[in-house]
Parts: sequence; structure tokens; C-alpha cells
Amino acid sequence: MRLRFVTVWLALAVPAALGAQTLTPRDSALHALNRLAHGPRPGEVDSVARTGVMRWIERQLAFERVPDGRLSGRDRDFKLLDYDRAELAQRYGDALRERQRMQREMAQRGDTGRPQGAGPMREFRELGGELQQLAVVRAALSERQLREVMVDFWTNHFNVFVGKGADRFLTPSYVEETIRPNALGRFEDLLIATAKSPAMLFYLDNAQSVAPGSAPPFLARRARQRPGQGVRTGINENYARELLELHTLGVDGGYTQQDVIAVARIFTGWSIDRPQQGAGFAFHAWAHDRGEKQVLGVRFQGHGMDEGIRLLKLLAGQHATMHHVSRKLCARFVNDEPPDGCVDAAVEAWHHTNGDIRAVLRAIFTSPDFWAPQAQRSKVKTPLEFVVSAVRATGAEPDATLRLAQVVARLGQPLYLQPAPTGYPETQAQWVNSGALLGRMNAAVALAAGRLPGASVNLDDVVSATGDHAALVDAVNARLLGGTMSAHTRAVILEQLADVNDPRQARALAVGLALGGPEFQRQ
Amino acid sequence: MTISRRVFVKSGGLALVSLGLDPLFLARAAFASGRPAVGPSDRPTLVCLFQRGAVDGLNMIVPHGEPLYYRERPRIAIPAKDVVDLDGHFGLHPSLAPLKGLWDNKSLAAIHAVGSPDTTRSHFDAQDYMESGTPGVKSTSDGWLNRYCRHDQEHADTAFRAVAFGPQLPRILAGTSPALAIDDLQAFGLRVPQEAARDKLTRAFEELYEGSATGLLASSSQEGFAAIQVLKRVNPAQYQPANGADYPPGRFGRALLQIAQLIKADVGLEIAFADLGGWDTHVNQGSSEGQLAARLRELGLGLAAFNQDLGERMRGVVVLTMSEFGRTIAENGNSGTDHGHATAMLALGGPVNGGKVLGRWPGLDPASRFEGRDVAVTTDFRDLFGEILARHLGAGDLAAVFPGFSPNPQRFPGAIRR
Repeated sequence: MRLRFVTVWLALAVPAALGAQTLTPRDSALHALNRLAHGPRPGEVDSVARTGVMRWIERQLAFERVPDGRLSGRDRDFKLLDYDRAELAQRYGDALRERQRMQREMAQRGDTGRPQGAGPMREFRELGGELQQLAVVRAALSERQLREVMVDFWTNHFNVFVGKGADRFLTPSYVEETIRPNALGRFEDLLIATAKSPAMLFYLDNAQSVAPGSAPPFLARRARQRPGQGVRTGINENYARELLELHTLGVDGGYTQQDVIAVARIFTGWSIDRPQQGAGFAFHAWAHDRGEKQVLGVRFQGHGMDEGIRLLKLLAGQHATMHHVSRKLCARFVNDEPPDGCVDAAVEAWHHTNGDIRAVLRAIFTSPDFWAPQAQRSKVKTPLEFVVSAVRATGAEPDATLRLAQVVARLGQPLYLQPAPTGYPETQAQWVNSGALLGRMNAAVALAAGRLPGASVNLDDVVSATGDHAALVDAVNARLLGGTMSAHTRAVILEQLADVNDPRQARALAVGLALGGPEFQRQ
Repeated sequence: MTISRRVFVKSGGLALVSLGLDPLFLARAAFASGRPAVGPSDRPTLVCLFQRGAVDGLNMIVPHGEPLYYRERPRIAIPAKDVVDLDGHFGLHPSLAPLKGLWDNKSLAAIHAVGSPDTTRSHFDAQDYMESGTPGVKSTSDGWLNRYCRHDQEHADTAFRAVAFGPQLPRILAGTSPALAIDDLQAFGLRVPQEAARDKLTRAFEELYEGSATGLLASSSQEGFAAIQVLKRVNPAQYQPANGADYPPGRFGRALLQIAQLIKADVGLEIAFADLGGWDTHVNQGSSEGQLAARLRELGLGLAAFNQDLGERMRGVVVLTMSEFGRTIAENGNSGTDHGHATAMLALGGPVNGGKVLGRWPGLDPASRFEGRDVAVTTDFRDLFGEILARHLGAGDLAAVFPGFSPNPQRFPGAIRR
């Protein structure tokens, strides 16, 4: 039996050429679970090592075939998923009306506080909380871990800010309909989907960008009737600039201010229906600039909406785009400052497959840089990764309230609430500071004691309570830290346990110190 | 030129080396001389407030004396009747009216047409350059406030020498010199009800990180534990603002209140940083009322409360606002403004050469605009920042804080009283 496992490991382990000579099957399983997943659950390092890490990676890439029953059972908890964009828009409208009514009443009373609506306002606030919590629950519970990691990556790459006006009701459909179906598809499809998404059109103001002098038909009529009161309109460069700088070419991608203006002109007319009509994508021909434009030396005739699609395909196929996005993927999966090797491998796969995201990821996961010793535990977890990996490590069950997402927010990463179009950086400097580290220690201690809001934990399923402190700490190391605990950490925890007699208290303290300690902050 | 004892002491061990590098040494002496010697408890403090998103300098410090301003902004200009006039040509946005008294008593100055020599209109790049202090150079890994701390070691480092209020340490304070990020002073530390148990757990984590952490995890945790020790003495939960100061509700007001608290607690605060967003007004920016007016109101009320709260202590404090760039002179199609070039900044405090709009005003004439559309930059932001570091904090080596830039007092806008 034992012999057979060894053979299977050898066949399925990381090929030696990729640097596996330095990694045991358990090491490589832990590394893959840290990067392609939100950390291991109890026992998962062993099971992935048994399956063979490369086979497990292939399964994660072909996520459609991975059953995900536990998560789909939890979907029922989220009312948000029952509503489409139009229904959310309507509820938002109801909430706004309730707020205005309350503000009027409060003004009459001379009350200067914040209106606390109990009806639609409260319901809409709860839906907003569900949006954040759903991301945490999916990250924690889904068997399709790589897909959830990529949903997080793209949601951040194509950032929208849920706090901005209509994005309060447009962001849920952005996640469900724009990002999730395309997270492991083709980059070009994802790019076009984001460009047409009401959430992005509103967030980066393209919905309001119109050709100079144009006006909607009903206003144009009025302007003719009352000359001198024409509607002043014009282009808005916001989306055009971020599309080039952040979504595709990158800031050094070789475009000019003239390109930005031309891109903005091409996208004039890409807009949104009114909320009563479902707030969906709409192309307003009246607003489109029909003049000739030139982007990166390519001419665009004034045909209408086709120009924008053609432009997005052009951008998706630029080498600068491939390099910019591949480098960002490598910063997520390999190292904050990724080596050229994995970036080049990803770009090459992109060229060969016309931007098949799975192929690009496979190239990264099979590059020697991914498995190199310098990459192991080189990245610090983001707040989301820290909270979710701690929940997974302890086998905790997240609830459907906002509370766990609030922990993530307090640690510095409020979900969907990054106002800047850059999204959150992929590097540790963003997350590591004294205040945030103390916050992580607090969260770890609370989780281990069963006091972390939003997660119920039963440590009996993970580590049994025992009076034998050495055995306890060894179990915590093996089950929660994947064997990465340093001798120093082990000694400090044992010293802390010395005067704790109650086995359950000792276990809570050991788990809290381990999850709040330096080893668990890395991945 | 007389070299004050302070300068001599400051240069310390480097003085001998510096004598061999004449220009640098002379530059140091020139920057720092004339600044009164200070005792340890009134260490000067610099408070930097970053208006992220690019504030519309033209509607903050309004050139109401220029007809072109009104012609270019038919829907969003501040009507002359609403502007709080400062000098007949410029005036404050009406939301900043709470600051007029500070202008009158000469502790508030505005610096107009200030910005970056780099031409980017990207928020990301421009903020990065303003925080790294190296416009056009992306590879700079640290921020200029951190480099200042590293190169000016006159004061022994204390846990609270440099503090950013917020969940993240901003780029401007990133680097090898210790700096704290504090979201809320009251919640800073481990949350355990009993003091003895709390101290024990704190020591345990301190030992864990001392022995097993590497890199940023090690230094950040160490700074955190040092700060916890100091805060035990300060007792932030007990704080009451003085002189009836009333901070506006919200994160920004809270950050200012806690900065005031740390200054009064004499914990060695030299650099404080906070930011406030919401300035990227592409759509429906508003005029005397509206979106921008609401943001400016929070800024004005916050600064006024801070000044009120600190009272006499403002003699050692300079507050400086900054923003990555300004906005287009002309309004756009959506009653908003797009990304522009130069903007305006405010300096407030006892040492400020107040009651003036500083910097050379290039005017709004199309011929003098940057790329035909934006306010041109006539003051490199490093000249303003450098002046404040040198003449307020007594920085000796500006060349080390702003690499690649030759500091020149001739170009300082004159924000600090001499």
C-alpha cells in the first residue's frame, strides 16, 4: 500500500525539471493550495499530495467538472441572488424614496442625524452586506477554488466601486454576469463584457460621454423650439484612459493623450438604459461621434458601436496588454516582483491561444519560477486571503451576515469599496503595517476562541484538546500551518501554555497564536 | 553667514564629510539657518493631508478676478457673490469660509499653480509620483516622508515619530524608517478585557514576531508593539477636544482629532498623514453647493476644528494639503471637470507665511495653459515640500529626500515665515 502511494506520488508530483527536487509532495501541495486556493482545509494538504499536485491543478483549471454541492446549498441564504438588475434597481429606488421622505420629516423636526430607515433602506443595506459576504462564503466553501481566486483577481483588475451612485445596484450583476462567467474564459470576451457592463459604464462615467453638440432626440426637439437653450454636452475621458492604462496596455503601453481622446470618442454612445427599463447596456446612436478616429495608428471610421468592439479586440491582442496582464497574474500567483521567466511563459501561451486564460494560467503553474524556493511562502496574504484561509484552516462555517466581510474590511480590504480604478495592489506593502497586523492577531485569537463574529468553529474537528502540550502544538503545526512552524514559534507557544491547565483553553491559545503569528501571514 | 549651533549639531558626524562637499554643506546651512532652536517637547510637526482624486484647485481657491474663469465654467463656476474674497483676485470656495479667520490672522496661505513636472493625467501615476517624490521615476521604492525620517536622525526615533491614519501605510511613508499606520488610536492593540491577560498575550505575540518574522512583517510588528507601550500612558479613550473644537463627523475629522491628541500628548509626533477622497468630480461637480462643496466643507470644518483644538500648540505645527493634479479649466459635457495639471494647496499653522496666495500665477489665458487646456505648473511640488521640510522641520539634506532634484531656496514659494 505504502509503496503504491510512493509510485503514484512520483508520477503525479511536480516534474523535477520544475524545481521539484527541493519540494516534497506535501510541500508542493501546500504551495499550490496557498496560491491557487485560499489555503488548505484540515487534511487537504495530504489529499492533494495523494492525488498528485499537477492533477489537482488540472482539475481546478477544468472547474466545471468539480462538483460544488456544499456551496450551492449555501446560495439559498443569499436573497441577493434571487433578484435581477431591474429588481435591484427598483429596490434601490424605493430605498432612496424612503430616505428622502425621512430627510424631509427630520428637517421639519430640526433633527440633523442620519436617517435610519427600517423598510426599503434597511433591506437594501442588507443586500449590500450580502454582496460582500457572498464573496467571503464562496472563497471559503467552494471546491472550485481557483475559479474563486480568479473572480477575485478580475474583479480587482476591472475594479468598480459599489459606493458610487447606480453602482450600488449594478455591482451584483457585474459580479454574476460579467466577471464570473468569464473568469477562466478568453480575455477578449471578459474585456468586452466589462466594457458593456452597466456597472463599469457608470463607474468610469462612459455612460455620460457623448459627442460634442449631440443631444437625445427629445431634448434636440426642445432645443430647436427654444433656440439658445441648447444642451451642452461632450466626451468624458475617464473610461478611455483607464481602459488603456489599467485594463489593457498598461501605463507604459505606448499610448498618447491623443489616443485617449480618440478612444473616448469611439465609445461615445455606449451607455445605460434607465433603471425603470432595467438599467441594461444601451447604445445611443444619437450620442456617437461619427467622425474618423485613430488609435495606436489604426484608423476607425464612424460606423457606430462596431468601432468599440473592434477597438477592444485590437487592445486585447496587443503585446503590451499581454505583458501587462500576465505580469499582474504572476504578481498574484508567483511573487510580488515576478521573475521574467514566468511572465514570458504566460505571454507566449497568450500568443498561442489568443488569450485563453486557462492556458495562460497553466503556463504560469508549470513554469519553474512558480515552484522555485524563492516563491515558497514569499507572499503575504491579503486581508481576504488571511480571513478566508483562517476560516478554512479551522474548518469554520461562515454565516450569511456581513460580519466576516467586516473583519476583512477592518484589516484594510473592504470588498467592492476601493474607490480608485486601480483596484488593490498585488503587493504586500499595501497590507503589512503595524495596525493591520495587530488586527490580524485579534481576529486569530477571536476565531480560535469561537468569538469571531460571522464564523462558527468547532476545533474538535481539527485538533483534539489534550493536556499534552507538546503533542498539541505539533498537531496545530501539522493541521493548521502545514508543518511550517518554526522552532522558535513552537518554543514561544509552549512557554505560553505552561501555566494553562484547561486543555480547551490551551488549544484555543495555541491555535490563536499560530494563526496570528508570522508563519500564517505568508503563503 | 552665521551657522547656528543647531545646524552644527545636526550635521554631527557627517559634518566633516560635508566640509569636503561644499555645495551640499552650504545648502544645508542655508536651509536651516534662521530657524529658532526648539526644546524637545515642542518638536515641530508636519501634518500632510492628501486629497486623493485630484481636487479642482480653481474651485477651491477661486480666481474670481478673471473673466475667463466664468467664461470657461458657465455651470460650475462659483458666482462672485458667493466667493469669500481673499485679495481681490482670489477667493475661497464658500465651503471654506470657516478658514477665513485663519487667513486674516496670517496663519493660512494658499499656493496656486503647484504640481508635478511630469505630464501624466493618471491618478495612479500622479499620486505615486507625489508620494515617492520622484516625478517620472517609477522604480523609487520608498516615499519622501520616509526618506526625510531616514536622513534626519537628529531626533531619536520614537514609535510615534511618523504616523499615517488609516488602515494602510501610504506610499509617502513607505520605506526603511519606522512608520505607523493607525486606523483608530482607541482600538490600537490587542483586544483582551483584563489588563494582565492583555499584557501577557501582547508579549507572546511580540516574541513570536521577534523570532520568526522576516522583512516587512518583522519591522511592522515591532513598531506596533512599541506604540502599544506608549499608548498605555496616553490613554486615548479619555480625550476631549479643547476650546470647544467641533470636528466634522467621519473618518477625516476623526483622524484630525487623533493627530491633535498625539501632538498634545508629546509622544514625539513629527510627521502625520491622513487622506480624504471624493475629489474626482467628472460629473455634476456642483458650484457653491453640490458634490465638491460638500467635500470642501468637510475639509474646512476639519481644519478649523484642528486649529481650534490645538490653540497655542499650532505655533509648532504646519498642515499642508496636497493633491495629485488639478482639473481642466473648462467644464466638461457633464457639468464636471476632467483631469488637468496644476492645482492649489493650502498651508496652515503658526510658522506659515499666511494671508497670501503664493506661487506665480500663470493665468487662464489659452496661450499660457499647459497643453492648451490646463493650468500650467509654476511651482514644482518638491520646492514647496522641500521648503517646509527645510524651514519648518529643519531638514538638512534635501537632495537625499528628493533624489535627482537640486534644491534651491530661490525657487521656494515662501510658505514658511523667516
